[in-house]
Amino acid sequence: MMVLERWLIELLLTFVARDEINAFLRSPQNTATIIGCLIAVSGALLGTFLLLRGMALTSDAISHTVLLGIVVAFLLMTDVFGMAGDTSSPWLILGASLAGVGTVVLTELLYRSGLLRQDAALGLAFPLLFAIAVILVSRFAEDVHLDEDAVLVGEIGLAWANTNSHCFENCATVTINPDHPQAKMTRQCRNCRELGISPRDDGAEFVEICSNCGSYSPAQAWQAGYLQKEPLLVFFPKSITVTLIMTVLSLLFVLVFYKELKLTTFDAALAKALGFRPGVMNYALMILVSLVAVGAFDAVGSILVIAFFIIPPAAAYLLSDRLAIMLLLGPLIGAVGAFFGYDLARGKFFGIIEVGAVIAGLNRISGLDLLEEWDSSISASMVLMIFAIFLLAWVLSPRYGLISTLIRRANQSRRFDDQVVLAHIHNHQFTDRHLTELRVKTLHIHFRWTARKTGRVLARLRALGLVAVVDGFAELTARGETQVHAFRNAMFEARNIPDID
Amino acid sequence: MKVKPMSAEDKRVWLTIAGIVVLGICFLPIGQWLFGIRYTYTVRVVALGGSILGVISGALGCFAVLRRESLMGDALSHAALPGVAVAFLLAGRDLGVLLIGAGIASWIALRFISALLGTTRLKQDAAMGIVLASWFAGGIALLAYIQSIPDASQAGLDRFIFGQAAAIIESDLLLISGAGVVVLLALALFWKEFKLVTFDQEFAGANGFQVGLINTLLSTLIVIAIVLGLQLAGVILMVGILIAPGIAARQWTRKLNHMVILAAVFGAFAGGVGAVISAIDADIPTGPMIIVVAFTLVLASIALAPGRGLLWSSWRRRLDSRRFARQNALRDLYRYALSHGSPATPVPDTFVRGIGDRSAALGLRQLLSAGLVETMGDNWRLTDAGIEAARRDAHSLRLWDLYRLYADDMDLPLLGEDRHLDIRDVLPADAIGQLEAMTEQRPN
Repeated sequence: MMVLERWLIELLLTFVARDEINAFLRSPQNTATIIGCLIAVSGALLGTFLLLRGMALTSDAISHTVLLGIVVAFLLMTDVFGMAGDTSSPWLILGASLAGVGTVVLTELLYRSGLLRQDAALGLAFPLLFAIAVILVSRFAEDVHLDEDAVLVGEIGLAWANTNSHCFENCATVTINPDHPQAKMTRQCRNCRELGISPRDDGAEFVEICSNCGSYSPAQAWQAGYLQKEPLLVFFPKSITVTLIMTVLSLLFVLVFYKELKLTTFDAALAKALGFRPGVMNYALMILVSLVAVGAFDAVGSILVIAFFIIPPAAAYLLSDRLAIMLLLGPLIGAVGAFFGYDLARGKFFGIIEVGAVIAGLNRISGLDLLEEWDSSISASMVLMIFAIFLLAWVLSPRYGLISTLIRRANQSRRFDDQVVLAHIHNHQFTDRHLTELRVKTLHIHFRWTARKTGRVLARLRALGLVAVVDGFAELTARGETQVHAFRNAMFEARNIPDID
Repeated sequence: MKVKPMSAEDKRVWLTIAGIVVLGICFLPIGQWLFGIRYTYTVRVVALGGSILGVISGALGCFAVLRRESLMGDALSHAALPGVAVAFLLAGRDLGVLLIGAGIASWIALRFISALLGTTRLKQDAAMGIVLASWFAGGIALLAYIQSIPDASQAGLDRFIFGQAAAIIESDLLLISGAGVVVLLALALFWKEFKLVTFDQEFAGANGFQVGLINTLLSTLIVIAIVLGLQLAGVILMVGILIAPGIAARQWTRKLNHMVILAAVFGAFAGGVGAVISAIDADIPTGPMIIVVAFTLVLASIALAPGRGLLWSSWRRRLDSRRFARQNALRDLYRYALSHGSPATPVPDTFVRGIGDRSAALGLRQLLSAGLVETMGDNWRLTDAGIEAARRDAHSLRLWDLYRLYADDMDLPLLGEDRHLDIRDVLPADAIGQLEAMTEQRPN
């Protein structure tokens, strides 16, 4: 991980100066936005396939279990192996993603027993695993930073502070031993506590103790003032590295196995017949989902992460029919949502509307006395922005949107009404029943419509020049006649019936 | 009034219900003796509250399970969170108001999910995931905003996230039981309608029931059950309490009324016992403990339930394989002996084992202890009783052949063909008579 970070920073240093990098990364907004976007991209890439496979809620199950994996691995690391507890340690990530895959296997086993259905198996497994995790957290892990808040929303706003320092020039590590000129020596009583005497009493023995001995990394040495020349340091937030790795892995996975993923997603049976292994692909996908969920845990917690998996692909699904375009749109939507999400948390909606002003307006209208300063959770706000984009896509999508669907349905029902009336006139024109069937005043009875609706349809048909009213009777014009024939022929052709006329 | 005799399954279900009730009552002194639990006032209130909530959510959870909407419970419970926050902002921290807010929020989520399903091509799981995540995010954002208000009165709102049963007080109990009685009454009142739309919506619609209305009513009741349970388990774990009792109950019975009663009892057991266990140590949170108890019930039911449990079916598979082994061994011996002369011809051991291996050994052991075969050195020979049994079996097979060919023509009762059963045990005597007559008409 350190190597990767170093390589990345070297790459950056060729373009921008060190101070700029540090200043950029030290801003909570920049770091949080970068992490949010990375999670959104990796989540949307994998989520697209989850969505298309009808497994969207599997990400929910995995993200819940990942918590259990993290807690157990954390407790094992700190209590059993005595390592330092660090939620971005590779061991932790490994253990947690194994746990994630474990859930998938567990639900599959429950489901395969044939005694309960898939949704019930899923709905049973993850509350249980989450419950166990919560019991473990509150019973054993009170003092660590795995508190309930972190579990829920993560700490994306603090990610900038948790950094690895990298040194590029003047990198002297300083080791201070008692002989070092800068060593601070203090005298301390060696046996005072044992004998219960004060250092001033007789018999007190003293030792020289060095209070600042030890080895200092370049960053620490500079901070403590042991270096003359300032080392060229870059502080790189750990979360960015973790999420970046996850994003690259997801991207590689999707690019390399694009064909296989597509085939197993849309036609698992065909894939199997062609010699691919849908099962292997499925588990590979689950492993990556677990990895991303673990990587995102620090930043957005274990529940909100499912929004990054489900919502952007769902929005993309409403906008496009092509897998490749969905795979481009999903990450884009997620990243844009994450970008504007930080602003929302600080009280700005898309940079236009001030949330504080809205609350002030509410206060004026309702007489409530709410705080007019909006300062909220960053990760939750990112999810809300992604949801806002989803809503936009839902309402405005050209093909599957709410508006276009409503327009299309209205058009369809209008066309249907027209055809019904035209066909009715066509069928009864020039027959001996046309006096009863085609009288405009009683026409609505035959369709069981209201008189108003019939009048409306008739007016439209007359305006189109398809129907004429002669002496209170409806009849087809020449254009109306051709229209009916064209429609009938089209229908017959569509069903392969030869025209009987 | 004539009382209909109870079937074996009915008896079993009532026995299970009684057993669970007794177990729950017995747990109180056992807990005191084993874990040193002291039944203080708080523990009593919490345990009682847990049991009542368990009854309500267990009974209604059955419908969620049967309608394959288990995960809907998850989405709706997560969706309650913003309602709690908004209700708090508008009206302060009165439990009733907060619960009403929660109910409204999850009800809106419910309508939103159906709107998504009705107007887009998204599948149910995606729609639920979208609503779950964004409503929950809204709740978290509002809670964070509330926390930034410099006023200490918001403390304790986050108990709706993880649940905090210890915060239940006596006045809450009244509210919970009042709402519970209303919900259960509504359930009883619309029992027929709920049953119908749960199992066959098309049929209900065709018979003039207002399917949409009934569905909405049922979902609303489920929402109320979820909202009431929130303070016990919190929005994240509520789905477990909702569906686990139903899933456990489903294993024991095939009747809806039994299932609902059993689920209510399971729910009460999980709620009460979970609450009591969590009183052992202040560090054990109540909601998660109740989930663990409920899941234990599910596991026990999956393993033990008569008729479909894992133990039961593996035992039946064992019995079946023993029976098949015995019959196949008998048939193999008989056929070999017949084709080499008389039925009493000794059959070489290598032949029998060559066809059946382990299963043959199992069958031969049974035949030997039943006195149907005897060993002659390395050979096996049918005894007189064995020959008689094999003849009966061969005759049964012959009747099965005829049954397969002529059952339609002779208008015999329809059976699933199971050639390991003696046909004379499964067909009525007159049908056997007809088949016997057939054997005489058509000798082989």
